[in-house]
Amino acid sequence: MSKSKLKTIKDLAPLRNSLIKEREKLRATIVICGGTGCQASRSLAVIDEVKKQLAKHKLKKSVNVRTTGCHGFCEQGPVMVIEPDEIFYCHVSPDDAAEIVTKTIRDGEIIERLLYTDPVSGKTIKTESEIPFYLAQDRYLLAQNRQVNPCSIEDYIAIGGYSALAKTLFELPPESVVKEIVNSELRGRGGGGFPTGRKWAECREAPGDEKYVICNADEGDPGAYMDRCVLEGNPHLVLEGMMIGAWAVGARKGYVYVRNEYPLAVKHIQLAVEQARKLGILGENIFGSPFSFDVDIARGGGAFVCGESTALMASLEGKVGEPRPKDVHTVVDGLWHKPTTLNNVETWANVPSIIKNGASWFASKGAKGSKGTKILALTGHIKNTGLVEVEMGKSINDVVFGIGGGATNGKAIKAVQTGGPSGGCLPVEKFDLPVDFDALADAGSMVGSGGMVVMDESTCMVDVAKYFLTFLQDESCGKCVPCRLGIDRMLEIVTEISEGRGTSDHIELLEDLGDTMSTTSLCGLGKTAANPVLSTLRYFRDEYETHINEKKCPAGVCQALITYIIDEEKCTCCGLCKRACPHNAIAGKKKQVHSIDVDLCQKCGICMSECKFDAIQIQ
Amino acid sequence: MTQEVTVNIDGAFIRAPKGSTVLDAALGAGICIPHLCRVPYLEDIGACRLCIVEHIENGRSKITTSCTLLVQEGMRILSNTDRIRKLRRNIAELLVTEAPNSRAIQDIALRCGVVETRYPFRNSDCVLCGRCVRACTGHFGEKAIGFVGRGKDRRVESPFNLYSELCNECGRCIDLCPMTIVPCDGNMKPGEGRLCGNCESKMLTEEAAQGYCIGCYMGDGFQCERSITNTL
Repeated sequence: MSKSKLKTIKDLAPLRNSLIKEREKLRATIVICGGTGCQASRSLAVIDEVKKQLAKHKLKKSVNVRTTGCHGFCEQGPVMVIEPDEIFYCHVSPDDAAEIVTKTIRDGEIIERLLYTDPVSGKTIKTESEIPFYLAQDRYLLAQNRQVNPCSIEDYIAIGGYSALAKTLFELPPESVVKEIVNSELRGRGGGGFPTGRKWAECREAPGDEKYVICNADEGDPGAYMDRCVLEGNPHLVLEGMMIGAWAVGARKGYVYVRNEYPLAVKHIQLAVEQARKLGILGENIFGSPFSFDVDIARGGGAFVCGESTALMASLEGKVGEPRPKDVHTVVDGLWHKPTTLNNVETWANVPSIIKNGASWFASKGAKGSKGTKILALTGHIKNTGLVEVEMGKSINDVVFGIGGGATNGKAIKAVQTGGPSGGCLPVEKFDLPVDFDALADAGSMVGSGGMVVMDESTCMVDVAKYFLTFLQDESCGKCVPCRLGIDRMLEIVTEISEGRGTSDHIELLEDLGDTMSTTSLCGLGKTAANPVLSTLRYFRDEYETHINEKKCPAGVCQALITYIIDEEKCTCCGLCKRACPHNAIAGKKKQVHSIDVDLCQKCGICMSECKFDAIQIQ
Repeated sequence: MTQEVTVNIDGAFIRAPKGSTVLDAALGAGICIPHLCRVPYLEDIGACRLCIVEHIENGRSKITTSCTLLVQEGMRILSNTDRIRKLRRNIAELLVTEAPNSRAIQDIALRCGVVETRYPFRNSDCVLCGRCVRACTGHFGEKAIGFVGRGKDRRVESPFNLYSELCNECGRCIDLCPMTIVPCDGNMKPGEGRLCGNCESKMLTEEAAQGYCIGCYMGDGFQCERSITNTL
């Protein structure tokens, strides 16, 4: 089928049918993840080798190789799925390519050693859908990543892409689209959880002919990469969502603000826009309707604060990326002082399916007040790290232990940090809380954009608070006093505490200062900057108190408060530690128990990792 | 003719021209809301956050800066509640410990009721209120200085830290700088860690005067509405 412009809506269905027919002819499809995680574990080399082997065995025409976006199970990368049998191979290396092509593709045999082994039962699992990591999830958005090559608009159209847009343009007037989104109870996935429908309605009603839609892909939370994977893996889905939104609010122009540190996402969304323009899906009179819309890509310079809506708009306008007061909302006075609807990547990605399947379908999933599914980036001291998608309302327990598989190296899990630097730390006792906007906010944390950093007992919560404050101190724009000086002073106090100079007044001062920051700061960054400190104070107050009163770090992390000692009973006098110590702080002769000179010791911990007998301990 | 709206600030019904800010309306009526970064003829950016007020809307109170909040008919504002006073005091405390030797900031701190400070003193030359930057980029458009850096590295500088040829030496930046007023007699030496409270504005921060103009240094040196009307 030639890729001529789709002049009317009637051209879309024949194109889709011919694409589907073309795909039905194929004997098999090898799906290889080309997301950033798998690329880092050399999936591109695997792809090259598989293609070479297919050519060698003259299977090039009957077997398709599809390079896709992230599947979610980044821990097992590079991952490969062979359709139609859905055989799942993990940790595939380029050397395996020849065997995969000859055995699995040609002879239909399964290669046992490449299959995933369930760490609980110890059994190998053949297909993707049987893996517990995937089984426990409710994958909707992420499941589509496997079905499309992000660089191919044909793949997207073949799985029903742009049919929601066609339905919107010819069957649903803008008011009905807004109503549909309102009824679906979709809430913003970027962090705030603002009802998307209400935002659209307000923007639609705002006076003015010129309006804008913006996709916020300036994701910057440490350990979070949901938006990245959606944009990298399925850019047309986001584009379609934006077009439906533009139709609903009355915009003719859209922007995707994506950070330049996501080169693959930038490349894929640029390609998607070009392909859509070529097919006439973007541009003037789309599908022959009166609706015209175009999208520009803006690359962000990597400032965390530019994820804040007004700072993002300032950056788009070519100004310094600093927030401005939002006494008048951006839906009325946004980009270039025009009404603007700004949504997060994941929010836009949810829109097409709501239009396709109806608001009630979406509202039937999830919990009260928080509908649909949410993608979470599960990282930290946990067995299965990666991207997971769950229905909102699932408990943290199910996510951390059910999907994540619990802690690595047998340690007990202590806390989970949700929502990035703006979120908070929840202790293990609170793990029965559901992942929904309101429940987590009440507990002093937030769903945020979906980052989940799991921490085990070797983590010091004062140190965690210090880490996030250091991050925020660098990333605050510095415009308003409570955020700039408040974070600075907070970090100063927390550092004092972690270095053993804390006083009993410090806890109260931190709480007072935190309250001032969260009430009076100019933008969302400052308003939530105190959360890491406030939430750790709320749930791990005893740790702060131990640091202050006993000058000890219970987890053995804060360097100033720990001393390394040698257990005389365990020491075998081998001398390994003595040779390893770069500061000559260890004394002791052969066959004589060694000892550490506390004045010379720089607490680097090299001796501890060198010792084969666990004789060196932290006190 | 300018349209006027009526707003209720601390119980007083004040008529103010449409498009003006709550801070302007309050100051014009003699209700003092402490402020630092605001300059009457320059764009308001809401950076210092001292002029926070409670905006009562649908029975809910929202705390926001009055310099960026435009007056609306029937609006209800509380500028001097216990909560606001406490928050304002905490912000002023952050400012005065950052630059304890600025007379203008001392006055603000005392006006906001800061007596004891809980943070160690630093001796910064700049609190990044942005008055100079806005004067330079605003009406005259010379753009000889601007903000550089982010977060704790933010500072005011000319481009590439070289003398800017754009500067026409109007001196407006110096006039507006809260650091250029001659400091008081050294009771605020860094390291001493407490505010002396000997300035004349201290005498006027009696409870009875809360919320009303006290003729502080800010007014004299910084063209607040009161001093403009007085000099006229």
